[in-house]
Amino acid sequence: MPDAALYLTILIALPFVGSVIAAFFPTNARNAEAWLAGTVSLTNLVITIMFLPSVRNAKVVRAEYEWLPDYGLNFIARLDGFAWCFSILIFGIGFLVVLYARYYMSPADPAPRFFSFLLAFMGAMTGVVLAGNLIQLVFFWELTSLFSFLLIAYWHHNQNARDGARVALTVTAAGGLCLLGGMLIIGHIVGSYDLDVVLASGDRIVSHALYLPTLLLVAMGALTKSAQFPFQFWLPRAMAAPTPVSAYLHSATMVKAGVFLLARLWPVMSNHEYWFWIFASVGVLTLLIGAFMALFQQDLKGLLAYSTISHLGLITLLLGLGSPLAMVAAVFHIINHATFKASLFMAAGIIDHEAGTRDVRRLGGLFRAMPITATLAMVAAASMAGVPLLNGFISKEMFFTETIESHGNSVLDNNLPYLATLAGMFSVAYSVRLIDQVFFGPAATDLPRKPHDPVIWMLVPIGLLVLICLLIGILPGPTVGGFLATAVQGVLGPQLPSYSLAVWHGFTPALIMSFVALIGGVVTYFTLKTYLSGNIEGAPVLRRLKGKRIFERAIVILSWRWARRIADIVGTTRLQPQLRLLLLIAMLAALWPLSAGALASGALALDVDWPFAVDPSFVLLWIVGCGCALGAAYQAKYHRLAAVIIMGGAGLATCITFAWLSAPDLALTQLLVEIVTTVLLLLGLRWLPQRLEDTGVRISFGARLRRLRDLGIAIVGGAGLAAIAYAVMTRPQINSISSTFLERAYSEGGGRNVVNVILVDFRGFDTLGEITVLGIVAITVFALLRRFRPARVSVEAPRQKRFQNQFDADRYDAPKAGIAAHYMIVPGLIMRLLFPVVAMMAVFLFMRGHDAPGGGFVAGLTFAIAFILQYMAGGARWVEARLRVLPVRWIGVGLLVAAATGLAALVFDRPFLTSAFQYADLPVLGRVPLASALVFDFGVFSLVLGATVLVLIALAHQSIRIYRAMAAAKAAETDAIEEAR
Amino acid sequence: MAPLFPAFSVVLPEFILAAGALVLVLIGAIRGERSNGLVSALAVALIAAAGIAVAFQGGERAEAFGGSFVVDNFARFMKMLALIGSAAALLLARDFFQRAKLDRFEYPILVVLATLGMMMMISANDLIALYLGLELQSLAIYVIAAFDRDNARSSEAGLKYFVLGALSSGMLLYGSSLVYGFTGTVAFPGIAAAVAGGHGGTGLIFGLVFIAAGLAFKISAVPFHMWTPDVYEGAPSPVTAFMASAPKAAAMALLVRVFVGAFPDIIGQWRQIIVFVAIASMVLGAFAAIGQRNIKRLMAYSSISHMGYALVGLAAGTANGVQGVLIYLALYLAMTLGTFACIIAMRRESGQVETIDDLAGLSNSQPVLAFLFAMLLFSLAGIPPLAGFFAKLYVFGAAIEAKLYGLAVIGVLASVVGAFYYLRIIKLMYFDEPKAGAYQPMAPEVRFVLGVSSVVVILFWLAPASIVAAASAAAKSLF
Repeated sequence: MPDAALYLTILIALPFVGSVIAAFFPTNARNAEAWLAGTVSLTNLVITIMFLPSVRNAKVVRAEYEWLPDYGLNFIARLDGFAWCFSILIFGIGFLVVLYARYYMSPADPAPRFFSFLLAFMGAMTGVVLAGNLIQLVFFWELTSLFSFLLIAYWHHNQNARDGARVALTVTAAGGLCLLGGMLIIGHIVGSYDLDVVLASGDRIVSHALYLPTLLLVAMGALTKSAQFPFQFWLPRAMAAPTPVSAYLHSATMVKAGVFLLARLWPVMSNHEYWFWIFASVGVLTLLIGAFMALFQQDLKGLLAYSTISHLGLITLLLGLGSPLAMVAAVFHIINHATFKASLFMAAGIIDHEAGTRDVRRLGGLFRAMPITATLAMVAAASMAGVPLLNGFISKEMFFTETIESHGNSVLDNNLPYLATLAGMFSVAYSVRLIDQVFFGPAATDLPRKPHDPVIWMLVPIGLLVLICLLIGILPGPTVGGFLATAVQGVLGPQLPSYSLAVWHGFTPALIMSFVALIGGVVTYFTLKTYLSGNIEGAPVLRRLKGKRIFERAIVILSWRWARRIADIVGTTRLQPQLRLLLLIAMLAALWPLSAGALASGALALDVDWPFAVDPSFVLLWIVGCGCALGAAYQAKYHRLAAVIIMGGAGLATCITFAWLSAPDLALTQLLVEIVTTVLLLLGLRWLPQRLEDTGVRISFGARLRRLRDLGIAIVGGAGLAAIAYAVMTRPQINSISSTFLERAYSEGGGRNVVNVILVDFRGFDTLGEITVLGIVAITVFALLRRFRPARVSVEAPRQKRFQNQFDADRYDAPKAGIAAHYMIVPGLIMRLLFPVVAMMAVFLFMRGHDAPGGGFVAGLTFAIAFILQYMAGGARWVEARLRVLPVRWIGVGLLVAAATGLAALVFDRPFLTSAFQYADLPVLGRVPLASALVFDFGVFSLVLGATVLVLIALAHQSIRIYRAMAAAKAAETDAIEEAR
Repeated sequence: MAPLFPAFSVVLPEFILAAGALVLVLIGAIRGERSNGLVSALAVALIAAAGIAVAFQGGERAEAFGGSFVVDNFARFMKMLALIGSAAALLLARDFFQRAKLDRFEYPILVVLATLGMMMMISANDLIALYLGLELQSLAIYVIAAFDRDNARSSEAGLKYFVLGALSSGMLLYGSSLVYGFTGTVAFPGIAAAVAGGHGGTGLIFGLVFIAAGLAFKISAVPFHMWTPDVYEGAPSPVTAFMASAPKAAAMALLVRVFVGAFPDIIGQWRQIIVFVAIASMVLGAFAAIGQRNIKRLMAYSSISHMGYALVGLAAGTANGVQGVLIYLALYLAMTLGTFACIIAMRRESGQVETIDDLAGLSNSQPVLAFLFAMLLFSLAGIPPLAGFFAKLYVFGAAIEAKLYGLAVIGVLASVVGAFYYLRIIKLMYFDEPKAGAYQPMAPEVRFVLGVSSVVVILFWLAPASIVAAASAAAKSLF
């Protein structure tokens, strides 16, 4: 065939194109839609038939396009005999369904939606059977689930349709995801996703260690799709779909995708015990359950649905047996089932359409009213029952033969013939019931409509299918022989097992089984007839085992109870437990490397030599420090003021430790930072409630326990951190830069205080950047606090504070008296007197900074403390009335000075920020180092001072602003009252 | 003469953002609230300019600042994702904030700054740069999470995120200092060399664990996920959209770069962590999402499980695995932005609605929105032919290639559970009776974001090669 690739592409693309076009037709364009869909399916059917010569004798046609090339994934359309046979079914039955649907759908139903979905489904199904690689197969597989969902829910005003669609989608799409996992593993085992490579891989998959998980995942996909036990429940629920959909999806195509997949992978996966056990047992269970349940259905379509389940079980069983002959029987039955079941569904649709009900008990005697429909349906039903001279009989006989063949000496295998006969009996029984109760017996009297045969075009599709049933049944060899051979060769390769397609094989055991089933079925039906006509819904015993009910119950339990419980257990919305969890998990995570061998090997060297003899006073200091830390944590919730101050104690212990371990510079800086932060924290406390109201209440035992637990967590966590930190710090330093600094500090920077030299000289550029940032931060804080207002939802001011505010506001204009007078008079006085002393201290620290602990940063902080003390002692008004503090200028000057020092170096043709140093003998002060870095350091000093004070002022002014605001509010109120007067 | 600032061309995109953000601050400060529209538009333009700058950087590897900042294909790919996410977040926000009376010029600036932080994270090649970028990004996001500051939930979200984030940053720093202490360097290549040389031992693993914990917090992977639902729910929706998209990509990039760049020789150690975290995230995300009633909480759990899927690729630790992560993130970005555009569109006369039940019957009132939303959800569920399927395909494929079968199978099963709750929403939209009237019309920018992301999600299968090839080149630059 010329240009096979193009035609293959058309096969897949045409339905999708048609679907898009169909979506844009007007709502009531039933004829146009049907013409379009019919043309599409007929064109594809013709193309497929033309492919016959190219696929005979196990030949394969391929068309390949680049898709995800670097992933080794190409879009491959691949047609072999098996896919060809399925394509014929898809397009042939598709065409008949379109024709039927044209007359089935009422003018009120929106036609574009239906035909568009139907065509898209056709395309997806074609994609599945023509898929040339595994991923592409999954891709289209899920598409069929999606479109079937949309088709089932076509009448979405119907609650059943919605539920049915959802269940179908949930089950099949979930199965598809499992299938994806299975396909990925197969691709990994084989090394390619290309179907031809996979099929040529021989026993590699079966002998691989991952065979079982692969098989299970693939089975999940196939069994859900083909509605096999225990997933069979979605199919009867999907019967809420319009009948053409059921005829197409639930007889010929979609549900067949599962068995299609099994047959596709059969050559490479079936040669294992697991395959037999999984699919043979699932198949036989489904076969029996489906047939049994079908007999007790009162809904005509429900009966057909269970019958479909049962027949799919039969095919699964055949595929599970793993013998080539069983494979032939399976393919043959796929074809036969498609023909008779599609026609039966269409007939059921006509009956529903014409009689207005599908309840088997209400129907009856329809043979007189609609003889043609009845005849056709009866033939199809007889084929379903396996009556000789019809196609169902031949494939069923092949099935019976296969069950007798021994495949392995197991319980299942030995009992198969009996189980098969039993299922066949039920199958006959429900077929007879369908014929007898619908078409014969007393004519129904209470039908919603008066039934009669429909227009001829609705009967043509059924007629054609039934004709095929008859032709195959009477002359199997000439009619279907070549077709079947082509299909089976697609799976088994050119060497076919010997089988004979004939009606008469002599008195074989299979024939006997057929007759036992036929007679037993008829007897069963007539025995149960009265019972069946009674008021029963569903099969006895099994009625209780409702897959749907179980599914929904599982969903409820999974989706609400368990999910909620999980959410309750692991997900808390409270911050405290979240923090606790986070900490605990981090601690557990830290334990993990320990457990991973460190404990055994002792790699984490904690047994380092103590670098100093432990002095009792040092230990005491640390006990005090730890006590302070614990106290701060204890008080944090109840008495923040105390907590902040105690925390200062812990900080102090740290400072002394630094000094103890010969890091005076660090100690000094830490001390000052400690002081400044404590003061700023104290200032910030004003926006928090002073203390919890219920401190006096006896704390419950549980709360105590909780706190103890938290204490334990904190101690363990802290100790762990300390241990690791200690382990790191006592390790020998690897290529550290500090030795370089130590060596060069005096020779190149002219200072003995290495830290200071690093700051102002070696890393002067960094420091410049840092002080710039500090300045920006201070100004930002100031700017933010100027506009600061506590969020409305934040804590309301506590009672005492409200009282105080009220008091202050009332007294705002009054003379300074009451609590303001003599308040903190002694400490205030001391603090005022301290101002020059602290200032002197700052200058001292600044000057000595180059050689001894001190420097611009420390001096700046010290000076800031002098100001802070004044603010604390006198309050913002008092200080600002007497002192002009211009922090922004300090910041500006600092920055300019620092930058200018750096630039000055450029004048001397040195790089930016190069420093020079010299000693000078000054009066009073004595010999003083005068490095240009000192000027730079002054910049640092000035900026740190300015920044700290600026933040402080911003905080301090909050207090004033509140009173101003209150006064303003009060004034406005007074004005309003006066105006009202 | 050597250029004054040789690194300039390398950091041009970052420079554009940094300088631009400062200019925007000035504009905002000088013109006040009148400048909101202008600042917003300029911020988008800035991000676009940075995107162009990224696009025009050559494909070769370039370093700056003594090797602490690196630009390679990986960085460029991830930066593009971060920039796209940020731009979309800005577009989604404008109309929303105007209606909520939250329109302030600070929001775009903070988003730009967060983006700058992300770009630095993505390019970070040592622990210091990593931390700087991470904190810049996080600080900005802490603030915007609490942007609706008169709203208790929003304030709580910001505060909670801040407290827990600070804790996690602490862990990260702690881990970094341990790694430094045991390897003697902060540069990733140096660490890799030290690790290969056998330095470190258990102390190094300690550091690794803490770094992993800190980063896992940022991508909200289980067991560091607790903040996610609360913060997602509390923050204003556009902020949530932002948090769910760009920062996730950036943090994931960081995770990849740290593990693949600095610890390639002890993959056996960190793979255990990643596998555990991935499994926990996928499973918990899938199950916990089922019980949610608020769509934003649901998306929070959904994002948790999606990060789990992405981590599956990282667990593979191969170039293909990283490529899977990149593709996953790119497609997840599109899906999540589209989904949040839909969530932002959920506004009635009475205001914004957020419960899943409010989506009932959407297909009747707004068929187009319902269709796109459904497609996005199907994609999130990983159902072909939508983009989410390919995302999963790549990561699971890589995991199987790396012989992590158990991980892949658990991932597949978790996605089956996950599919369930997405399908529930679709069922609700299509088949349930509407409770209240239709939503108000969407703002044009929201429409735009939804449109573009839907096109990516729905039509990805037609031309997957473009993203896949870029991701492949990006992944190869790490190996």
